[in-house]
Amino acid sequence: MPTIRAASASLRLRSLDARYGLLGALLIAPTVLVFCTVIVYPLVSAIYLGLFSIYTPTMEGEWVGLDNYRRLLASGEFWRSLANNLIWTAGTLTLQIVFGILVALMLHRNLVFRALARSLVLFPYFLSTVVAVLVWRWLFNDLYGVLNHLLLWAGIVDLPVDWLGSMPNAMISLIFVGAWKYFPFVVIAVLARLQAIPDELYEAASIDGAGAWARFTDVTLPQLRDVLIVVVLLRTIWDFKEFDLIYLLTGGGPIIGTQTLPLMVYKEAFALNQMGGASATAVLMMLIMLLFMSLYLSRARD
Amino acid sequence: MSTPARIARRFLFNVLAWAVVLVIAFPLLWMLLTSVKPSSELFVIPPRLLPGEITFEHYRRLLTETPFLTYLRNSAWLAAGTTLVVISIATLGAHSLVRFSYPGRERLARLVLFTYLLPSVVLIIPLYLLMAGLGLANTLTSLIIAYTTFALPYALWLLRSFMKAIPDDLESAALVDGANRMQAFVDVILPQALPGIISTAMFTAILAWNEYFYALVLVNNDAARPLTTGVINMLVTSFNIEWSLLMAASVMMSLPLIVVFAFLQRYLTRGFSAGAIKG
Repeated sequence: MPTIRAASASLRLRSLDARYGLLGALLIAPTVLVFCTVIVYPLVSAIYLGLFSIYTPTMEGEWVGLDNYRRLLASGEFWRSLANNLIWTAGTLTLQIVFGILVALMLHRNLVFRALARSLVLFPYFLSTVVAVLVWRWLFNDLYGVLNHLLLWAGIVDLPVDWLGSMPNAMISLIFVGAWKYFPFVVIAVLARLQAIPDELYEAASIDGAGAWARFTDVTLPQLRDVLIVVVLLRTIWDFKEFDLIYLLTGGGPIIGTQTLPLMVYKEAFALNQMGGASATAVLMMLIMLLFMSLYLSRARD
Repeated sequence: MSTPARIARRFLFNVLAWAVVLVIAFPLLWMLLTSVKPSSELFVIPPRLLPGEITFEHYRRLLTETPFLTYLRNSAWLAAGTTLVVISIATLGAHSLVRFSYPGRERLARLVLFTYLLPSVVLIIPLYLLMAGLGLANTLTSLIIAYTTFALPYALWLLRSFMKAIPDDLESAALVDGANRMQAFVDVILPQALPGIISTAMFTAILAWNEYFYALVLVNNDAARPLTTGVINMLVTSFNIEWSLLMAASVMMSLPLIVVFAFLQRYLTRGFSAGAIKG
């Protein structure tokens, strides 16, 4: 309940706004300064560099205009990387969402040692990607890895599987490890929303004779809709630009079988020493991402 | 529904649910078990779940025979430095975004969210050139500067959501009592925002602790290498991959995260999404 004192003060606040505007600008100044130096300048610079052909070690370059882009759009490697990028994003995102919702529903119910179960499930998201990849490469190891032993022992396969060195195994492994690492994000968002659904909705549905499945599709899913849209947009953006997990797990291989656009940028800039072409690739990739980013930004406005 | 049937169903659900949880947690459990197994037990076929004998030999070797401690020190400095820089700037910035009005404020807030989503591969090449130009290549300072590109938008957005939750009346009351706005900020807003500032600081420290990409590109010598690229370097440069040593390193790298994780339980929803998801 706002008191009269507070109300009159907020009136005074408004009249002083103009003078305080300056103080507000002063407080945000360090942020703006850092943003301009480490984000805006590099961003503009990347777009500019994309118009040159630059040899990284000597930094000698010449103006080539839009040639980098023309060359990119005509190269099979760019389209292959984009296709890989889309397959990886769609695959891992689908698993994250499906698995995330299921586990959230599970953790929402009465489970013994629920707090411990929740912590165990959420922890992979906290972990460094480096650790996640090391552990999985050990699990995937073709000679001594547990995964192959388990499958051999269960009689599912006759020979050890080459998880990371052949296609399509490498892409499938990547998608699975990505799902394992990032599905807790979906769990935590969905769990928070589940706890806010009023019990009356379920009671009313039960009275109307809805079974468990009908209650899920008619009550739970519509209630989760908004949060799921935001989660899908955010995870699409983050999965699309993922570098660490893919670079560390497969390095983009075999050959370029799992090479996505961020890996292509890295390879062009620091292995092939073509900074101009790499910048152009990065800018193209950002243009593709802008679609999802603007969708997300317009949603975050409400 | 009869009671025995209900108990049976509850029991079944618990067994199934815990089976799922254990499958999810198995890789981490396996990491822990591998790190305390003697090397000879690593290559037993079929692999045994529990170690026949527990050894801390790998941890000893990690700390004495590898540059692990140097990497650890670098990571600690990076996390502390990034957090200090980012939180100082972001606390002032978030306060300004929430409680002041000036032209361009909303646009600035949206720019923050936009930069938070920006892919680092777009920024890396100019940043690499910038660091080389400033003579900062291969230093921890270059990494702290690079880490602000993602940590500052993140911290700003998270702090903004924490500070929005502080009622306006509190500041107004202080102003009525004669405080100016800076005093009101220090005496009223800061103490109220402290839990939010601390948890934002911890999330920021984790981001810096776990970062790999900038460290890969900007630092190329052991003196300034953090744990992430350092441990991978141990993997790449070794002739025989020593999995128990790598698993011990992974456990050590994750220990601080477990402590922070336990502390942050309450703020997980906010921290994961940086205030982007409204409950």
